[in-house]
Amino acid sequence: MPTSVCTAKASYKKAPGLLELTDTHIQWTQDGKKAPVVRFTHSEASSLFCSKEGAAQCRLKIAKYGDENGYNFAFTSPQPTASAEREKFKQELTAIITKNRAALELTQQTSVPPPSIPVTAPISNAPTPRIPPSHPAVSRAQSVVSERVNERRATTPIIPGNDAANDFRLRKKVLVSDPELASLHRDLVMSGQITETEFWDGREHLLLAQAAFENQKKGKPGQLVDPRPETVEGGEIKIRITPQLVHDIFDEYPVVAKAYSDNVPNKLSEAEFWKRYFQSKLFNAHRASIRSSATQHVVKDDPIFDKYLEKDDDGLEPRRQPAGDVDLFVDLGATLEDHGETGNERDITMQPGRQRGALPLIRKFNEHSERLLNSALGEASAAKRRKIDKDTYAAIELDDLRDSESSAGITLEMQDRERYFEGRTAAGSNGVDHEHLDFKTLVHEAKQNLQNWETNLNQLKIERKPGDAALMAMTTNVATRLDVRSRKNDIPVGLFTQMTTCQTAANEFLRQFWLSMYPQPNDVQTVVVATPAQRAAKAEKMIGYLSKTKEKVDALVRTAQADGVDHNRVEVAMKPLLNAVDWALTFYHTRKGAR
Amino acid sequence: MSTLLAVVLDLAPAQWHAAAKASTSPLPLATFIQHLNAFLNAHIAANNDNIIAVFAALPGTSVMLYPAAEPHVPVPDANSYTPFKLLDSAIIHGIERELDVIADSDNEVPVALVGALSKALCYINRLTIAQPTAKNEHALDPHILVLSVSPDLSSSYIPIMNAIFSAQKLKVTIDVCKIYGPETVFLQQAAHLTGGSYIYLERRDALLQYLTMSFLSAPALRKTLSVPTQDKIDFRVACFCHKNIVDIGFVCSVCLSIFCQPVPVCSTCKTRFPMKILQRLNAARPLLPSANSNGAARNSSPAGGRTNGNGNATRTR
Repeated sequence: MPTSVCTAKASYKKAPGLLELTDTHIQWTQDGKKAPVVRFTHSEASSLFCSKEGAAQCRLKIAKYGDENGYNFAFTSPQPTASAEREKFKQELTAIITKNRAALELTQQTSVPPPSIPVTAPISNAPTPRIPPSHPAVSRAQSVVSERVNERRATTPIIPGNDAANDFRLRKKVLVSDPELASLHRDLVMSGQITETEFWDGREHLLLAQAAFENQKKGKPGQLVDPRPETVEGGEIKIRITPQLVHDIFDEYPVVAKAYSDNVPNKLSEAEFWKRYFQSKLFNAHRASIRSSATQHVVKDDPIFDKYLEKDDDGLEPRRQPAGDVDLFVDLGATLEDHGETGNERDITMQPGRQRGALPLIRKFNEHSERLLNSALGEASAAKRRKIDKDTYAAIELDDLRDSESSAGITLEMQDRERYFEGRTAAGSNGVDHEHLDFKTLVHEAKQNLQNWETNLNQLKIERKPGDAALMAMTTNVATRLDVRSRKNDIPVGLFTQMTTCQTAANEFLRQFWLSMYPQPNDVQTVVVATPAQRAAKAEKMIGYLSKTKEKVDALVRTAQADGVDHNRVEVAMKPLLNAVDWALTFYHTRKGAR
Repeated sequence: MSTLLAVVLDLAPAQWHAAAKASTSPLPLATFIQHLNAFLNAHIAANNDNIIAVFAALPGTSVMLYPAAEPHVPVPDANSYTPFKLLDSAIIHGIERELDVIADSDNEVPVALVGALSKALCYINRLTIAQPTAKNEHALDPHILVLSVSPDLSSSYIPIMNAIFSAQKLKVTIDVCKIYGPETVFLQQAAHLTGGSYIYLERRDALLQYLTMSFLSAPALRKTLSVPTQDKIDFRVACFCHKNIVDIGFVCSVCLSIFCQPVPVCSTCKTRFPMKILQRLNAARPLLPSANSNGAARNSSPAGGRTNGNGNATRTR
């Protein structure tokens, strides 16, 4: 069950029932029924309307995106409970809606307009803290925002090709994240050489990846709520309160939420409440580190907040008992009975709570982690999540105690490997005649060659001619390499850009051509499948472009000549491209001729 | 900077016989030994800490010639520098001894180049491991020089590749000097993959010139010195079935064998491919439209580098 943030008796369409705000949903259940009649997620809430203070009926209207009529609830508890209840709902919902709007703005920045435009409604007495958000809070807020966005998207998986608007949005995102692709897109599509659809044909995987990326559900950020005070002049400290921070604090420390609902606005004003909270012992108990002990003396006694103060959770047993059984492997107490009675020494190496001061902190961390996991996993039943095997024997069978079974792997049994390599080496040998010689004679000859080696070594002499020839050959080898390295970039920028453009454009045409020649993949989820006739037309068009490549390259070579650049270098640079284009042209004509 | 040079000599008697009779710039074994000794002496003379190891690849066997297991003590000679003499005589006597061993066999078997290469790597590995404890604090700069006369031995492809990978891991440079015989693709790869030089001798009679210019300097110095190296390496892909150089190949997704046309069963690893994929790949075959005329009209997967179940094709250009 999701945790309930607040509940109140309220009627909907004149039927009495229970309005409930959980941490994910807003729901209303008619009295006597089990399943909620109205139920929608936080992210769907778009705006909030309230009846005036002091009106006969205490009403609350929640509008949804795409449904401006919304839901009208009337709080049915006697006054002033109804007002207090509504105040509570209003406050929670305001936070939620603010987040939803921020999320929407985020999507608007990068995409086409969302399906519906939210109606902005004046909210009476909105208790929104009017302090601009500070930087650390922003980053946190954004992560929460994207989480909400994702939650919403997760409900409708996007398959490229189904929805033009979505496709457009995805394409735009892909282009924004890949400048090279964007420039290619600009060169080819915006100049009208190929159509948008053609451009994305064969690039569906990019869109799919983007869609998958967006649909991925992000978890709750794992940071502990720990407002950092900023010191300003005069020794005062200042903490910026943002709606996000308020939400986080309430989420993390329900006791603060309770204190807030008990005291605001009757006993304390909003600002007063926070001011006193941050000076209270309660706040210090909530801080995420023990460094707060240094500021202990500035903490004042506070009659209101001290009521909510809980005793430090540093007893040997945690205040909050874990639900269900503890896994025997992590239970330090599990072996307790083995000591003492049997005569074994007491286990002194691992005792819980030896350092008492650390206990509350450790438990706070544990609780925080648990909360985080719960938000990610949902509230599964304890038995299911724990996966405790009731079979004790199965539980003590540890993987580490098993013999490791070595896997042999798959040996590469290459059959007839000679067959493969001999063909190549034979081709390389320039017809050396293998005269059959007696091996013994050969060995004898080799031995003969070793005779008188000392005399030989003393008479070592290298003929000048071969030595010079070798030196020249090697010098040329080195010089060519150095030459290439030293004169790398003397092609003028303008010409170079033209060459690059020509290259990328021809590459794209080639890609399009081969894509239309080869059979279509059937593993990509697209709805739009080109008919054979369309594909043939596209191939024809691409061949048209490709056959002009030679002209373009020739033009580049002429430009190079005009600019006084070595045109051979341009030719060499464009040669691979021309080869590839020729290959495509030959392929096309051969295939066409065969039909 | 001290270097550790391991020299691998390819001593195939038949190849040396042919080298001595070559039409252009012949190089008999005697001259080779002469030049080699001069080069090795130069190497140990260049730096006091230089270490040399010499390995011989002989028909069917490989051996470490220097440092020898049982050192041959030469007759003292006032006319020569003792370290040179020790080194040179150890090599000559080692070769003589090994030739005596194989002299009785009748057939020539290919030289054990891989064995010699592996021994060289093991030796280097041992010295590198022992190094931190040794008093020599300088980093050894190990390189292997292969002096090759034999053609590639196809059955040794996988061992050679494994040796190359070990060398890469040990950061050993492998230099290759191809003295005689056809270009060897394997050794070209070895030099390329380990950052060494591959030199094919055009003038065999100037061997020493090549050796000193290209291989005497430590690999670490080559950034500054610019030594010659091969200018082109054959990276083209040949299919396993017909040994054709292919632009578009079909690659077995299990063993990565390359074929010029889709095959129902991989001839290397015997993996069977589903019929459906074959049809689809057939449709993608370049320049052979008549083989499966209706295949092209069907909408199925292209070969352009897409993985598809078992059938996987890639463009290799």
